[in-house]
Amino acid sequence: MFKMSEYSFVAGTIAVGLALACYVLAFIAVRIARARTGLVAAGVGGETVVVNGSGMAGLAAYGSLITSLALAFLTMSLMFRTIASGHGPFVNMYEFAIAFAWGVVAVYVYFEHRYHQRMLSVLVLPVALGLLIYATMQPADIEPLVPALQNNLLLTIHVAVAIIAYGTFAIAFASAVLYLIQPDGGIPGLPKPEVLDSIAHRAVVIGFPFLTLTIVFGALWANIAWGSYWSWDPKETASLVTWLLFGSYLHARVVRGWRGRRAAWLLVIGFAAAIFTFFGNLFFGGLHSYATGGGN
Amino acid sequence: MKRATEPIDDLDVGLQIPISDIFDRIWRLFVSMRTGLALILGLAVLSLIGTLLVQAPPEVKADPTAYATWLDSIAPKYGGWTRIFDSAGFFSMFSSVWFRGVTVLLVTSIVACSIRRAPLLWRRAVHPRIAMGDSFFANAPLTTVFGANSNPEATLEAVRRVLRRRHLRVSVDSSGGDIHVHADRFRWGPWGTIAAHLSIISILVGAVIGATWGYRDNSLAVAVGNAPVAVGGGTGLTVAARSFSATYYPGGSTPSDYSSVLAVYRNGREVASQTVRVNQPLQVGDVAFHQAYFGGAVAMRVQDAAGKVLFDEAVPLLLASTDGKESVGRFSLPEVGATVYVVEAASGVVDPSIRAGQAKVEVYNPGSDQPAATSVVSQGQSAPVAGLMFTFVRERQFAGLMVARDPGAPLVWGGAVLLVLGIVLVFYFPHRRIWVRLRRDEMHTTEVRLASAQRRDAGFAAHFARIADDIKAAVKAAHTP
Ligand code: HEM
Repeated sequence: MFKMSEYSFVAGTIAVGLALACYVLAFIAVRIARARTGLVAAGVGGETVVVNGSGMAGLAAYGSLITSLALAFLTMSLMFRTIASGHGPFVNMYEFAIAFAWGVVAVYVYFEHRYHQRMLSVLVLPVALGLLIYATMQPADIEPLVPALQNNLLLTIHVAVAIIAYGTFAIAFASAVLYLIQPDGGIPGLPKPEVLDSIAHRAVVIGFPFLTLTIVFGALWANIAWGSYWSWDPKETASLVTWLLFGSYLHARVVRGWRGRRAAWLLVIGFAAAIFTFFGNLFFGGLHSYATGGGN
Repeated sequence: MKRATEPIDDLDVGLQIPISDIFDRIWRLFVSMRTGLALILGLAVLSLIGTLLVQAPPEVKADPTAYATWLDSIAPKYGGWTRIFDSAGFFSMFSSVWFRGVTVLLVTSIVACSIRRAPLLWRRAVHPRIAMGDSFFANAPLTTVFGANSNPEATLEAVRRVLRRRHLRVSVDSSGGDIHVHADRFRWGPWGTIAAHLSIISILVGAVIGATWGYRDNSLAVAVGNAPVAVGGGTGLTVAARSFSATYYPGGSTPSDYSSVLAVYRNGREVASQTVRVNQPLQVGDVAFHQAYFGGAVAMRVQDAAGKVLFDEAVPLLLASTDGKESVGRFSLPEVGATVYVVEAASGVVDPSIRAGQAKVEVYNPGSDQPAATSVVSQGQSAPVAGLMFTFVRERQFAGLMVARDPGAPLVWGGAVLLVLGIVLVFYFPHRRIWVRLRRDEMHTTEVRLASAQRRDAGFAAHFARIADDIKAAVKAAHTP
């Protein structure tokens, strides 16, 4: 099981990389084709350029297919590891990173299916790939669980909802970046700003309740394991910061002067806070650094 | 983005409160979304600072000398900023005047917003505005218009049927020349914002109650076999450990499990007893007993020269020597005015002077930092030290408990549930509203206009289009009798 989990993880990582490559190539090709037709339209080239978009569309379709494969591999990796270790992926950074990457890819697949904006992949998949590469650098051994982490349904739910929340925030982040790089009227060939705004909002509408649940389940668990639902532990606090930032985004959307660009910036900052929360253990100690947790 | 935002009802026309006096100004400030946004962001920034800077533990903060030492210990990290951060209170951010101030302002703003919004939401849900003007139908973000071959009354019946089938509540106003229809669904959805906002207050009030009237003891060591130990905080409880056991992963010092059987007494009567482990606290009323840590204890009996028993208890070895090689426990003998330290080699440490199964006894007289006498005693043996007879009865263990009583917890958990429900209500049950206007034209047929002003609900446009198609089909089928 452990080996199978490792193989699936490697296959998933490669698939994410391949999918990203397909998407990027497809978009570069489309841009070049567009630039050429632009020239033709302006009468510069003098020759007729036949823009064959179908090959490019094919490439992007491969991207979608391989992304789905990547999701399947990562799902298998997490499942096999859960079976092998007997607990959810919540013990070390290796498990967290794969789970986080899984969330990013899964939510991306859902949004691609729903909104057909494959351009988002160019920003979303690097996040997943980065996490997976980070995971390859972490020790993958299955470690014995300190008592605080044992038999914990709450903890499994806590991590599961966190993964979904983080995945949606990656989508919101990608939409916000694509939004911010465009001038007011939009750039032809890129998703329309209104569409991006609406996708980002959809993502937060899904993600914000999940982040809220993450914090509530985390507090419930802390209350049982540590006798206190909130201890201003740095990781807790960082998740509160993330929550406040996405909460402020929801309000900014109804404040004049904050819609659009400023709201998009809040999404970028909010995602940065989510990443910081995730890697927080590396910057600060605290109760969440499990390596030293437990009995003493 | 920018969308057409015609005023639909009072919620959208903005504030019409005269700013005649200071109270109105303050009120306007607090109900302003801009203020609310600034406060949420402000709290985020303060929390971020509190995350990035090390925070002084509360017990250190409470003791000025300990705090000064603590500041010195972090000074190398922050250099010249140490003093600045300290005077700004950033090392105890979450109890600082900044953090508390912004929280109070945020609560005020939330209360103000909710007070302002609730009556408007009530009116919108219960007495919606049915007849909308021409400009609304001309400018609404979602509109459609088509003709029907029947008169307005017959068309109304067809429209009503379609809307009802789609689970919309239908209200009709035909007092003017036209027939106006307002159809809506999930009219209580926006109350989710009120629930979410009030839940924040509930959580914060619960937290304040817990901090003010709650009680917490992070380290209550209870040695197995001892008489019940008093729990503080006016709980009136005592607790004893009946047994303790720990198991370890093979070959390591990582415990795989540890648990103790606790018994809790009130007025000497047992009120609860349970096996307590890390994820399994014992709850007695609103007091929770958590298993937090554990260690060895030495059961010690002390007798004076006449054989009178001065002390007969297990001493938990709570302290560690500075080099970490010894575990140390302490107790006092008030009758002879002495303090006794009991020292064992820490687990896993080989110490030729204190071997396994032995403990060193050190007797200190008041005001002296040198022991008056010491002796190493083996388990089951006795030895005279400083004129007293010490018996090392046996090795024991102690359970380190965390005891917490939090009268604010129900408000916190209730608030958390309300928060999640409120958010789900707002997001997944958005108030969907459609207006229909039926106007008789010269041919005694009807012009049907549909409009909606949904702004932040991406899925609604498609829904609106489906309803419009249904209505079109239905009015085609309807004929003037
Ligand atoms: C941490 C504090 C707060 C939280 C968690 C919170 C939560 C929420 C949520 C979840 C929504 C629904 C968002 C949506 O419909 O897209 C909302 C809407 C709203 N909030 Fe807050 N809020 C907070 C603070 C405030 C404050 C301080 C104000 C007052 C200025 C405020 C005023 C509003 C208003 C007026 C709406 C409705 C916006 C609309 O849909 O038109 N909120 N809030």
